[in-house]
Amino acid sequence: MSQCKVNIESRKKSLHYFFEKVVEPLGFKFTPDVEMMNFLLEQEVILEGRHGIPFCPCQPLRNDRVRDMQIVCPCIPFHRKHFDEIKRCWCGLFVHKDVIDPDKLPQLPPKEVKNE
Amino acid sequence: MSEKFSKAISADEIAPGGMKAVELDGNEIVVCNCGGKYYAVQRRCGHMNAPLDMGTLDGIYLTCPMHCAQFDITNGEALSGPVPSDIGQEIPPPFLGQYLQNIGMLMKHVHTESIRTYETKLEAGWVRVRL
Repeated sequence: MSQCKVNIESRKKSLHYFFEKVVEPLGFKFTPDVEMMNFLLEQEVILEGRHGIPFCPCQPLRNDRVRDMQIVCPCIPFHRKHFDEIKRCWCGLFVHKDVIDPDKLPQLPPKEVKNE
Repeated sequence: MSEKFSKAISADEIAPGGMKAVELDGNEIVVCNCGGKYYAVQRRCGHMNAPLDMGTLDGIYLTCPMHCAQFDITNGEALSGPVPSDIGQEIPPPFLGQYLQNIGMLMKHVHTESIRTYETKLEAGWVRVRL
């Protein structure tokens, strides 16, 4: 990738700004666990520095463009059914708007999700 | 830096969320209207000199139209480098493939630098910029 010396805190702030606009109309919000949110955003800034794209920090890249594009954060539109069922995205950066305590949410694999 | 503020553009020429390029004493500048507050930044992208006024402004974040590098217009800070492009699965003709490979090799060495910002003030309906 081309080189860009990024201030991690500044980039986290801008990603927060852009992501909020995307997830809010989808019925999601940032996790109320601020420490977790900061950690995950920081990982995304690192991934963006490495690949040029803020991929989901909890998913592996597979060198398959179509599949990899489906884990660009926020990846909610690509995995909506699963996320609606577990009320959060895989890494937990986003949760449904009604979620207060993300630690109480169930962890269900995709095959246990209805209609998946 | 000059002491004087130069008349750059009439404030009503830029709607909130908009931006416009102006030239002042040979300096190419983009004046941005961020919710009624005006900012001025250098027109050329800190990555490959594309004209930033042809990009998009969202809040205080300016995205370059060429490779989508992003900048904070309040301080000019580079927030991200270029987004990698993809030509899809199709194999390009040999000449084009070689050309793209050369371009890619050169681009690896291009740094994305922060852009210059200019102090602004609003006076009698005009945005003034300190060069």
